[in-house]
Amino acid sequence: MSQLQTRFFTDNKKYSVDDVPFSIPAASEVQELSNVINKLLEAKNGSHSQIEFDFLVRGQFLRTSLSNHMEAEGISTEDVVEIEYVERFTAPQPEECMMHDDWISSVEADSEWILTGSYDKTARIWSLEGKAVMTVAGHTDVVKDVAWVRRDGLTSLLLTASLDQTILLWEWNSERNKLKARHCCRGHAGSVDTIATDPTRTKVTGEEEEVEEPPSRPRKKQKTEQLGLTRTPLMTLSGHNEAVSSVLWLDSEEICSASWDHTIRLWDAETGSVKTTLTGSKVFNHISYSPLCRRLASGSTDRHVRLWDPRSKDGSLVLLSLTSHSGWVTAVKWAPSHEHQLVSGSLDNLVKLWDTRSCKTPLYDVSAHEDKVLCVDWTDSRVRHQDNNTHLACINQQHTSSLY
Amino acid sequence: PLFIPLAQSDMKDYKHLDIRNTVGNVPMEWYQDYPHIGYNLDGKKIFKPIRNKDELDEFLDKMENPDYWRTVHDKTTASDIRLTDEQVDLVHRLQKGQFGDVNFNEYEPSVDFFTNEVMIHPVTNRPQDKRSFIPSLIEKEKVSKLVHAIKMGWIKPRKPKETTPQYYDLWAKEDPNAILGRHKMHVPAPKMRLPGHEESYNPPPEYLLTEEERLVWEQQDAEDRKLPFLPQKHSCLRAVPAFSRFIHERFERCLDLYLCPRQRKMRVNVNPEDLIPKLPKPKDLQPFPTTMSLVYRGHTSLVRSISASPTGQWLVSGSDDFTVRFWEVNTGRCMKTLEVGGAVKSVAWNPNPAVCLVAVCFERTVLLLNPSLGDRLVVSSTDQLITAYEPPEEDKEQAVTWALSEGLEHNMGHRLTLTHPKAVKQVVWHGKGDYLSSVMPDNSSNLQVLIHQVSKRRTQNPFRKNKGLVQCVSFHPLRPYFFVATQRYVRVYNLIKQELTKKLMTNCKWISSMAIHPGGDNLICGSYDCRLAWFDLDLSTKPYKMLRHHKKALRGVAYHRNYPLFASGADDGSVIVCHGMVYNDLLQNPLIVPVKVLKGHQITHDLGVLDVTFHPTQPWVFSSGADTTIRLFT
Repeated sequence: MSQLQTRFFTDNKKYSVDDVPFSIPAASEVQELSNVINKLLEAKNGSHSQIEFDFLVRGQFLRTSLSNHMEAEGISTEDVVEIEYVERFTAPQPEECMMHDDWISSVEADSEWILTGSYDKTARIWSLEGKAVMTVAGHTDVVKDVAWVRRDGLTSLLLTASLDQTILLWEWNSERNKLKARHCCRGHAGSVDTIATDPTRTKVTGEEEEVEEPPSRPRKKQKTEQLGLTRTPLMTLSGHNEAVSSVLWLDSEEICSASWDHTIRLWDAETGSVKTTLTGSKVFNHISYSPLCRRLASGSTDRHVRLWDPRSKDGSLVLLSLTSHSGWVTAVKWAPSHEHQLVSGSLDNLVKLWDTRSCKTPLYDVSAHEDKVLCVDWTDSRVRHQDNNTHLACINQQHTSSLY
Repeated sequence: PLFIPLAQSDMKDYKHLDIRNTVGNVPMEWYQDYPHIGYNLDGKKIFKPIRNKDELDEFLDKMENPDYWRTVHDKTTASDIRLTDEQVDLVHRLQKGQFGDVNFNEYEPSVDFFTNEVMIHPVTNRPQDKRSFIPSLIEKEKVSKLVHAIKMGWIKPRKPKETTPQYYDLWAKEDPNAILGRHKMHVPAPKMRLPGHEESYNPPPEYLLTEEERLVWEQQDAEDRKLPFLPQKHSCLRAVPAFSRFIHERFERCLDLYLCPRQRKMRVNVNPEDLIPKLPKPKDLQPFPTTMSLVYRGHTSLVRSISASPTGQWLVSGSDDFTVRFWEVNTGRCMKTLEVGGAVKSVAWNPNPAVCLVAVCFERTVLLLNPSLGDRLVVSSTDQLITAYEPPEEDKEQAVTWALSEGLEHNMGHRLTLTHPKAVKQVVWHGKGDYLSSVMPDNSSNLQVLIHQVSKRRTQNPFRKNKGLVQCVSFHPLRPYFFVATQRYVRVYNLIKQELTKKLMTNCKWISSMAIHPGGDNLICGSYDCRLAWFDLDLSTKPYKMLRHHKKALRGVAYHRNYPLFASGADDGSVIVCHGMVYNDLLQNPLIVPVKVLKGHQITHDLGVLDVTFHPTQPWVFSSGADTTIRLFT
């Protein structure tokens, strides 16, 4: 049995070990390495309790034996191997199941509340414990997307987009549990399928941005505040040949949109012109952007999750393809607090948690849903003291939304 | 040479007789039939002597006459001559190759009259002529003439001798593999197999059949047997009985010889792969639907017909459970369910994106629905379009009754109801969305196809004659043509000139469905006898290609509006997607490549897929089946 010279290091000061090379059997796997680290930590600190670790060799998660991994990655076994270890991300467990009467089309969660839109023409506000707080009724047709705009203390602004071609802006007081419709935004010639809010939610004028699914020329519209009840678009972004499936703000100047015409476009929010076009080969269902790693994730109908670099000047370069789903990927979402993690939902009833450092297989499959998954979102609690504090709200057609 | 000296000697000996024949050296057979044998010197006939010598006399003469050996028969006089001693000597000498004259000395010394040596002195001493020193003028003239002629090209210098040999090897250049003549084609008769050990009267024990093998042998057919006889062991050759099947075996051998091939058939050596036409790989023809993505569940009976909205956002389906359902394409959500009063035979979404109307046919009714999906403006303008109708002053009798729906039905989405005299099977829209056509199959009447105009609420029957049971109809996407498929033919009518333009022979037994290429020059027909016929209307009235990929009857065919794709659904539960590229170049024939078999539908009551339709913008195909589901393949 051959031995490998290894050196362990970690970012987490709590679990750091001495920076000395160890000789490890080449056939050892994650569990054995984890035992080694635990032994070392116990020797250093008597009160240490057993913790599961995951290991990274040159930025890739170790999933097989060390020798197999190094052979596959083409790493020389002569040198000292630098192995990074991190605390293992434990499997998400379903915490709450929120029952709806009808399909759920969208979900948006922030640190306190979860907002869901449903096919029964209403949107609902839930607490993180899974308690229905408020029902937002006002649309005459299916609610397709929801979004939080901003929160000033107990008063929140929220948006609902619907098949009835309108977007409603609501003001909700969480203490008194009072809801007031503030504005109705009109201007679309088709159902409004997706909305996104500006990251600078502190602006006096709540800027929202929405997209339509019209027959001929899909446009994106940006709205401004008016005194009246009805608002008209501030700006229309036209250029997509087919239905726009997803929009988001990259930052306060840039808008990104994905469409059924196989393109992702980046728009300048000031001028309304196209800055970059990323061309794929299949219909895009959903996109998500992570400001932490500055990458765009797209879910498309060919069952892959693809990662793009929106800043790259040399056109449409797919950085990474995550392949494991067996149905359309309907939703992708980057973790708000972790630069490598994203979650994807698919029509094959599965929600998968990915780590971009392990692109071959997902970290975890969440298979609690019994029907199609239409949207996913993360919530992040204020303090990270336990792993499952990162909640994953994920919605499916079983009329439930579950918390993990 | 023998004869002449004899004659000379005759002259000496028989001068007094003088019976020389004057006929000369002619064959004496010429005088066979005459009594004389020739003429003497006086011109008198020489008569043949009376032959009284027979063979016996001859023999006796030979035995008894001592001079018989020197007696010669003279044919010219037909008399026997006894040779003298000198004559016998002459004969002997000549036989030995000696000179006839006894006194001739062949070895006499030779006299050298002219010596072979060159003498110093000439034989004559005559001086040479003067002219032998002067060049000849005549010759000079002749030579100059020849030179002139050669210069002028009148005389060609001697041709070079042909180098080709007179005789050559006829077969030298022959290809050894070429077949030349019958002899090379000859195949000798097959030889009989040599007898083996098992045919011996005393075969080694391993050739003898065991009891089981023997039973098997007896049960087998004569043709299947390995051996035509049973090996048998005899103690000695004497004990071998007569071969009972001898005649039979000879007869079989004769049959073999008679039937065996006697000519070598020249089989063309063709690589079978070369015969397959060069088709591009399906991988290179993407995009096309490959996997099942969504299942639209909700119907409780078989789904007869589906149609996608022109935007591709909605799908409408009609089923035997008396309902019409509207689906959201990208989620599979049923947005609306409408009860109608009968099994829905056909649904068709208006292809005009500015009009939101769906035609539904069940029993004797064609219903125009406004599903209220999509743009509100379009929905309301459609309603306006229908209510804006003003009845004409003179009311004409029409084949169908148009009724405007009101009240509850209006709220459900019903707009216009067209009550037909007979059960309606199919309804199709014209590309502009104002006209629609309905089919009422009926073998005995000319009222089978009706064309309706929605804006004027008018109905007309385009045909005066019944040309057979109409299966389906379709409008040309660009030009004013109308396609009518009867059981075996597709007729193309020009609606403006009101005449039959073309009649396509499908070679199918019973057409089930038909689709027109968006370019309008190609057409596909599905039939109940498992065939799909592709017609190139510019090329011929016969199918350009027949595809027999399905195992069971085809129920639906469809073309994609933008992509070069077409699909067919059949009772075997599969949808076959083919790449059908039509080129603008008129010289290039369409390229048809089957690319994918899509499976997913369960076969229920022997029915599989009932209808297929493509998504208007994406390379996706919808199929509806007898298993109550609609499936989307992407």
